[in-house]
Amino acid sequence: MKFDPSLPEDGINVSRTNLLREALLLVGGVAAIAIAVAFAAAVAVDLVVPHIPIELELRLFSGWFDRAAKTDAAVDPREQPLAKLLDRMVGHWPECPYGFEIAIWDTPEPNAVALPGGVIAVTRGLLEKVESENELAFVLGHELGHFRNRDHLRGLGRGIAFSLLLVAVGVGGGGSAVELASLAGQFAQRGFDREQEIEADRFGLALLAAEYGHVSGAAAFFEHLSELGGPGEGALASYFSTHPLHADRIQALHGTAHEMGWALRGEQRPAFSTSR
Amino acid sequence: MDPQVELGVRLGIPLALLVLAYFTGAAVERRHYASIRKCELRWRGLPAITLRTVPPSWKVTECTLITGSVVISVDYFKRFLAGLRAIVGGRVKVYESLLDRARREALMRLKQQAVEGGYHAIVNVRLETCRMANARNSESIAGLEVLAFGTGVKLLNAP
Repeated sequence: MKFDPSLPEDGINVSRTNLLREALLLVGGVAAIAIAVAFAAAVAVDLVVPHIPIELELRLFSGWFDRAAKTDAAVDPREQPLAKLLDRMVGHWPECPYGFEIAIWDTPEPNAVALPGGVIAVTRGLLEKVESENELAFVLGHELGHFRNRDHLRGLGRGIAFSLLLVAVGVGGGGSAVELASLAGQFAQRGFDREQEIEADRFGLALLAAEYGHVSGAAAFFEHLSELGGPGEGALASYFSTHPLHADRIQALHGTAHEMGWALRGEQRPAFSTSR
Repeated sequence: MDPQVELGVRLGIPLALLVLAYFTGAAVERRHYASIRKCELRWRGLPAITLRTVPPSWKVTECTLITGSVVISVDYFKRFLAGLRAIVGGRVKVYESLLDRARREALMRLKQQAVEGGYHAIVNVRLETCRMANARNSESIAGLEVLAFGTGVKLLNAP
């Protein structure tokens, strides 16, 4: 028996491949799939949400948020006037199917959230930052707009769908794939968020105009926000993280006001005048 | 944090690591292959064969267990691509060269052991591969070990 001292052949066990091409194909492919799935999930949620009966929503979610919220609000003297202001705003939405509850969250970051079941949560930080009743009315009107369009359910549904997508990707691909899918998914949903904010602004503006005869509260609120600092600067970071302040949001607001003939300037009432 | 800055950090750091790992990984691989080829040429005359028994013509005077092993790490770039590949399926081309290098290096270390011990050949050569899991996240691998082992033999009539 003879021993053949030949060297191993290169290129049989290792594919000759351009790694960069492989990388581009994989990143592009997986990102495209993630965007498509996230987009499809968002569209599906948007299709389903209008058909969820309000009674079902109330049955499912009543008691989810209000208990924790009430303990905060019980010690806050601003709850009463806030609830009154909300009642006045709701008064301009005759077909409103919800019975709303106000919750004051004891956090310094200014923010307001529409929660499933008809709870509007407002943070202590927001109540301290607003300069007039009109601004507050606009914030409440904006959240009412979210309820009318049932954005709170859309947001929840998209969140669930998105988490499921990430879990599925994580099971299949691990860390890098999750990170990529999460970026792609956020990108895909960005347009949905923007649309919702602008729609909610529109509704808030209409309520504001009906209540005061002008919409100076909204204009003041946005001016006030930009005075306090742009997106991401300190105190307002949390508000912007849930309410992306696009330039086109302000533009849309001005456009709507102009179109409907609502005055952007007008007398503003001090916030919480009734309680003092 | 400003959303733009946050996005930049979330995108930028992994991207920078990917670019870095692409270049370092390619350079390491090139140098590794160069050294492997040099060794293979140097020890090509020493038979490392998979026969379970020595050929009858060999007069064995001494034998022992010889091992050669190597641990190679996956780089960030390869791990990232393999993670994506796991979603869509197909050949994990980025890991092929990694395993190829590890197997060949382990064999070279096996031969080096044999040469240093004065053995003339290695019979019944076997290869074992073992993946090393990340402690933090057992889903992804930190690296792999390839162990080559066989029986080194000293011969009266060296081939």
